[in-house]
Amino acid sequence: MARALRTEELILNMGPQHPSTHGVLRLVVTLDGENIVEVQPDIGYLHSSVEKMMEHRNYTQCIALADRGMDYLAALINEMALLRAVETLGGIPVPERARYIRTIFMELQRIASHLLWLGTYGIDLGATTAFLWCMRERELIMDLFESATGGRLHHVYFRIGGVNEDLPPGWTDRCREFCHYFLNRLGEYHRLLTGNPIWQVRTQGIGVLTREQAIAYGACGPVARASGLPWDVRKSHPYEVYDRVEFQVPVYTEGDCFARYLVRMDEMRESARIILQCLDQMPPGEVRTPRVSLTPKLPPGEVYTRVESPRGDLGIHLVSNGGETPWRVKIRAPSFSNLFALTQMMKGWKVADIIAILGSIDIVLADVDR
Amino acid sequence: MVLERAAAAFRGLVTGLRETLRTAARPKATLLYPLEKSNVSPRWHGLLALPVDSEIGNDKCIICFQCERICPSRCIHIEATGRGKERVLTRFDIEMDKCQYCGLCVEVCPTEAIVFTPHYEASTYNRANLLYTLEDLHRAAPKEPVARGILR
Repeated sequence: MARALRTEELILNMGPQHPSTHGVLRLVVTLDGENIVEVQPDIGYLHSSVEKMMEHRNYTQCIALADRGMDYLAALINEMALLRAVETLGGIPVPERARYIRTIFMELQRIASHLLWLGTYGIDLGATTAFLWCMRERELIMDLFESATGGRLHHVYFRIGGVNEDLPPGWTDRCREFCHYFLNRLGEYHRLLTGNPIWQVRTQGIGVLTREQAIAYGACGPVARASGLPWDVRKSHPYEVYDRVEFQVPVYTEGDCFARYLVRMDEMRESARIILQCLDQMPPGEVRTPRVSLTPKLPPGEVYTRVESPRGDLGIHLVSNGGETPWRVKIRAPSFSNLFALTQMMKGWKVADIIAILGSIDIVLADVDR
Repeated sequence: MVLERAAAAFRGLVTGLRETLRTAARPKATLLYPLEKSNVSPRWHGLLALPVDSEIGNDKCIICFQCERICPSRCIHIEATGRGKERVLTRFDIEMDKCQYCGLCVEVCPTEAIVFTPHYEASTYNRANLLYTLEDLHRAAPKEPVARGILR
């Protein structure tokens, strides 16, 4: 019966200038009536060749490149990913206070990134209020960043062996105030969205990725955790001070868009908790190891390190041959592997669900193309 | 079933509107941007400048080329002539369209000659205006008046 009614397949191009593709992504969608048969992502529109450029810059300059050439919504976490590789290979010590400052900033960055995701996902699904509210809270984080690092999106704040400057006076109080304020606001988001029937109909049961598929396609981050895979680099390979703070890794087993939404909402709460714990534990002292050159030479060798970016497992493979510049940098981008899980998630759903599913994996095209 | 769903949708609408009304009573979070300006923090990475020091009547640059070397975007160009005490800058250009405001040049400068200014409105209608020469950097202000759009 279904065979007899089958109509001719239609190929639909979405993007690269579609406002809901979060950047410049082209999706070649094969449609049977209104049902999606196949989705083929076409990437490369935002290729910035950052890996190659790093080979011609010294390690301090690479921080600035990692800031803007990769995932622009999580610049500080990119810096951390690169510095973790550099510091591991060079055996460069980092003062305790700097480790706490880094952790606080990375978690603030995670909240900012998730807020932007929530806002744009709300816009994708027609909830404009969520966007305005998320931007309002994100602006407070941007102000915190601005007063400490000088930048709002691109900070270049972390340095090899510490951070650039100590926190300005009164910053910790403002940060603590923000965390309490934000935890209250999260309840508001839940009241606005989680219980909203329209939101539930658009996301619940849509774009299911099973646990087996998540493993097979190498999904990571919130996408994998929403499919019941309790994988978080902060827990499994702790870096900085993540082994000294207590936090939960939210895991949901449904694997649909709603589960991915809930994972990120819970992560924001956990991030605020991590920041509060770090602020309490943070010792005074140096923020930068003295006598670490701005242009250090690393010993020959190679290293692979990973950090947990808001999109998942961000890895850096750094090869040095003893010079001032890296010989090769390979970036393992989380959005890239999540994009290929997307092809599996979308099969069999309707055209109207494309945007809901695409938005739920929180894709950043600069991270995909690098 | 249909009635149930309609009622649930209505409840969701009422919840949303209640939150919206509550927010409407709060102080506003936005600025009327071109008319009102926001203050930036003291560490703000704004436009770069080479301010003239009133004591020596010139900038504090000692022509060490460190900022030119550390710049990841390679947007600083320095040339100098003369030897010893007579060494003078003949060219100090910053291509502000390439600059990514990372602040490494400010960090490496041994005499604090190159600094950030609190200006953030550098937009202009002509890309050539974004090449800041020594004269513009001494003035420590945006080269062109800010593009105002249609608002006065």
